[in-house]
Amino acid sequence: MKVLPFAVLLLLLVLPWLLPAYGVQVAIQALVLAGFAVSFNFLFRNAGLLSFGHAAFFGAGAYTAALLMSKWGWNYLATLPVVLAVTALVALVIGFLSVRLTKIYFTMLTLAFAQMLWAVVHRWYNFTGGDNGITNVRPAGLLGTAHGLYYLSLACLVFVTLLLRVVVRSPAGYTLRAVRDNPVRVAAIGVSTFEYVLAAFVLSGTFSGLFGFLQLAWQRSVFPDLLYWTTSAQVIIAVILGGSGSTKWDYGPIAGAAVLVSAQAAVQSRTQYWPLALGLVLLVLVLFFPAGVVGLFSRAERRRAQEEELDRAAA
Amino acid sequence: MNPSLLLLEFMTGLASASSLFLLAAGLSLIFGALGIVNFAHGSFYMLGAYLLFWMTRGDAGSFWHYLLLAVAASVVIGAAVERIFLRPILRRPEHFQILLTYALLLVIADVCRLAFGSDYKSISMPPGFGGPVFFLGAPFPAYYAGLVGLAAVAGVLLWLFLHRTRYGLLVRAVTQDREMLEALGINVPALFTIVFALGIGLAGFGGAVSLPLQSMSTDVAVDAVISAFIVVVVGGLGSIWGALAGAFLIGEVQAFGALLLPEFSIVFVYLLMALVLLFRPWGLLGRAPAVRT
Repeated sequence: MKVLPFAVLLLLLVLPWLLPAYGVQVAIQALVLAGFAVSFNFLFRNAGLLSFGHAAFFGAGAYTAALLMSKWGWNYLATLPVVLAVTALVALVIGFLSVRLTKIYFTMLTLAFAQMLWAVVHRWYNFTGGDNGITNVRPAGLLGTAHGLYYLSLACLVFVTLLLRVVVRSPAGYTLRAVRDNPVRVAAIGVSTFEYVLAAFVLSGTFSGLFGFLQLAWQRSVFPDLLYWTTSAQVIIAVILGGSGSTKWDYGPIAGAAVLVSAQAAVQSRTQYWPLALGLVLLVLVLFFPAGVVGLFSRAERRRAQEEELDRAAA
Repeated sequence: MNPSLLLLEFMTGLASASSLFLLAAGLSLIFGALGIVNFAHGSFYMLGAYLLFWMTRGDAGSFWHYLLLAVAASVVIGAAVERIFLRPILRRPEHFQILLTYALLLVIADVCRLAFGSDYKSISMPPGFGGPVFFLGAPFPAYYAGLVGLAAVAGVLLWLFLHRTRYGLLVRAVTQDREMLEALGINVPALFTIVFALGIGLAGFGGAVSLPLQSMSTDVAVDAVISAFIVVVVGGLGSIWGALAGAFLIGEVQAFGALLLPEFSIVFVYLLMALVLLFRPWGLLGRAPAVRT
């Protein structure tokens, strides 16, 4: 049994009682982005597919809940099953059309679909409010409080991380990585590669929608920005900042999201030039530290990143 | 429907296609040669416009010669960026390249905000292009027509460079087989610098000539790069003719889409992109990979 994950979990459980009110808000944001990053990374790492359209699922989750609450007066938690069903459906449609492509073509196609959804939401004033968004939606009761939302987000993050961990280590997870590494050979032994990749895509998209649903409770409003391509870029940054990680354990994206969100909060309280600071850090990171934040502390991560690079150079 | 209205809409589409072509041709050229998807491409488009605004101090009287200077500055900046930032990561996994160019996007946007402020910048029509011209009796802004002309000139020059000069030949060769070119003793890294500088010069040119039509702010970059992606994906990654065809299609779809369903014209554009990706992932005029990748 490793001790570190449990120590971190324990710290996370008591954290809201140690932080000031603003700190709890930042922590919730970090948990939500971490969960989104874990969901995204599941596909990126195991299927080798870089989606530039995960904003679609994140935003669909947030918008589904917001629309049900503001138009039909639903209770926040009651929207959850619908949120999961809608995002799974969106992911199924986009995935069905996208996963037959790979590499840059897959990336561009997911980008196109997400932008299409953004454009519809952005322009459909009568239904979605266009760029005025939907404001003033807040969960009632305990979930309307910062601590309630914190523990819900933490529970979702732990649940999703553990569940995906089980999937990653299951035979299906191994098959998925085999498809990533050699689709022709896997198909030759009679495995339907399309179905495995599609299932991974839908799982990744649905969980992204779950964290979009939490994002709504955090910001108490939704705007089309959530669906814009910069949201997809944000989650990719979190993942690569933390290091996409080994196939066994998803702590890289969580660390990346935590670092990203806390750095953003710290920088933004002092200057409005957060993008500049982030850009400079990313430049340094990409040019000098290919294994991400986790790689700064873990020799194994550094070695893995190095090997990956050698593999590429040889290919 | 009134035919002169349709013609007008067509010409409007052609004008936006011209600016799209300048923006996308460089992106396509860079992807073809270096294999890099440049997320900062829209930022150089924006930078070209800001440079022109800064040089002219907002006075359109000296538009034309400062335009040349702004393009020259873009070329120099492009060469420097390639040398300093891109060269070390050319052989790294593509998500690192995306991250690096995205970092450049963030940095350029904020540097522009620091240097030029966050208010909208615009400039009036350059001298001689203030009034309308007439097509079959329908008035049409002269600068739109001028823009189409400029893009055509740039396109012809680009074609002459690629097909009638030694360097152009090498650029076309490097998109096909980098190793072979290296084996023949060609300085490929230097070639990459030239291609990148040329692409950035085109983007800067596109941004600068769009300044009289579109007020610039630091938000333009993220929208512009998406438009460039759409054009390049529709036309075919790495193909100049593809960029031309893609720009034309997207410009016209947007113009006529606005006529049919004004609110959702942008949705048509993404729909077109998705359809092309589904049925011809390598784009309308791109070359299909030998083994489907």
